[in-house]
Amino acid sequence: MSYEAVGVTRRHASGAKPQSKERKPFLLRLARIKPYIYLLPALVSIGFWIYKPLLQTFNLSVYQWNLLPTSPKQYVGMKNFTNLLGLPEMGIALWNTLIYTLGVIPFSLIIPLIIAIATDNIGRKASNVYRALIFLPMIMAPVAVSSVWRWIMHPTNGILNKALTDWFHLSEPIRFFTDEHWAIWSITFITGWKLIGFSTLIFSAAMTGINKEYIEAAKIDRANRLQIIWHILLPLLSPTILFMAMMSTLFASEWSFSYINVLTQGGPFNTTTNIYYLLWTYGFQSFNIGASSAAAVVFFLGFGLLAWLFMKLTKKLSFFDN
Amino acid sequence: MEKVGRNAGFYTAATIKHAALIALALVAVFPIYWMIVTSLKPESEVFTSSFIPLHLTFENYANAWNAIPMGRMLGNSMVVAVIQTVMQLLTSILAAYAFTRWEFRGSSLIYGLIALTWLVPFQVIMIPNYVAISDFGWRDHLAGLIVPNIASAFAVLQLYNAFKSYPKTLIEAARLDGASDWGVLWRTIMPNLKSSIASIGILLFITSWNDYFWPLLVTTKLENTTVQKGLQMFISSDGNMWGALMAATTIASLPVLLIYLLLQRQIIDSFVKGGLK
Repeated sequence: MSYEAVGVTRRHASGAKPQSKERKPFLLRLARIKPYIYLLPALVSIGFWIYKPLLQTFNLSVYQWNLLPTSPKQYVGMKNFTNLLGLPEMGIALWNTLIYTLGVIPFSLIIPLIIAIATDNIGRKASNVYRALIFLPMIMAPVAVSSVWRWIMHPTNGILNKALTDWFHLSEPIRFFTDEHWAIWSITFITGWKLIGFSTLIFSAAMTGINKEYIEAAKIDRANRLQIIWHILLPLLSPTILFMAMMSTLFASEWSFSYINVLTQGGPFNTTTNIYYLLWTYGFQSFNIGASSAAAVVFFLGFGLLAWLFMKLTKKLSFFDN
Repeated sequence: MEKVGRNAGFYTAATIKHAALIALALVAVFPIYWMIVTSLKPESEVFTSSFIPLHLTFENYANAWNAIPMGRMLGNSMVVAVIQTVMQLLTSILAAYAFTRWEFRGSSLIYGLIALTWLVPFQVIMIPNYVAISDFGWRDHLAGLIVPNIASAFAVLQLYNAFKSYPKTLIEAARLDGASDWGVLWRTIMPNLKSSIASIGILLFITSWNDYFWPLLVTTKLENTTVQKGLQMFISSDGNMWGALMAATTIASLPVLLIYLLLQRQIIDSFVKGGLK
């Protein structure tokens, strides 16, 4: 494909009128910038609302500021960064982030993988019905999901506690969102519940894409079911597994943000806060913009590094089936 | 599977498969079912565990509708979601066309910059964006909700894949017939990619309708916000009005649920495709 397009009406050229004297060079120049004109709206928007604020966050991280337009920003150098670890709740937020990340893995990887492998080829009609039902949580709004689970998991009136009391004769109902031992697991569960259908479908789609001849060949060689899974299916699924592992590592804390915000506000006793929620509270509750920005910079770079490692790993380990 | 006893073994395996899937489907659907059922129960019944409303009523809907400016917020959500979706489609159609139609300097760099935006979490850039919106005077304003989201990196990448699959020879043929680049885009390519653009549009609409972070940040008054933020305020203000809360939740989810009811095949397919890329 080339940019030659001389002699064709160009409605996009309204910005400048071609001068008849230098008609050809102008049109050539115009043809050359044409792709950029088409890209402009998307680029301007992404540049202005994503990359510019990203740079601004880096900049704000060396200032002390309280978000008030009238109050001056005070340059403090690296102080925000050196203070980071001593900030209130930082330790517990990091620890909780690890819990969320690991806690979501059964929902994003393990259970979906088992179900996808176990239920491969169950017939088109049935599988369409299951797909439609299993996927439903994915399209629900996080706030609506919080609202529904808040009702289901309500200590005294929720159906879950009623059922648990009936089945296990609990001495007192579980306070899912206000008991500091339960709250983080409740949030993790809701995050996972929303995700599990999506992950299952991703793995099922990957299973469908696998060339069944490999499995037939292994069966002829008298491989048993476990050997087939271990030596054939898992290697072939490894790109998908790595992809989902990366997604849930990078985003578990971001996905849980809405549930924390609506259901617990980080409590009880900060047991459900995580690093993203911390950025939020530093920024918009204690108005410590410097701390929030410095923490944002560190987390951004940290997660960027993680993403890079995952991509390296994907390239190295993945066994591609052509 | 062994040849002998194939039938018996086959059927047990099938039963286990279906049992696992039914269990998963129940876990996925029950909360949504329970939301709707609770919303249809009269106050005296809300706290019972009956799985169907014994005396069907819509009083919860009336209560929810009157407790918060529901109509206004639904309208706001609809305006924001529709404009955002249309703008995101337009900007990404133009961008995807540029990437697939021409080879130009910096194209892979620009593509990389767009693709890498998924590494920038909302919480990392929220403070500068909040300041920008405040400077424009767009807090508590629909413009403040819409303008930051007129381009979507996800949409660009998805449409890029759709455009890439369109045969180059057909573009060449249209060019030989004298079509301009602009004409090729709208009269040759677009009619053929209608269905994939529509399903990307549906995903964008759902994402925008469900968005909560940004309205949470830039709006404070109920009349100026979207239904998600309104629902959150209803949740935190409630006493024990579970019936009304579930009615409000159902109303807030209704557009998305209806779209899903009609188009679940396309929605699932494009979600899965988007996830796999």
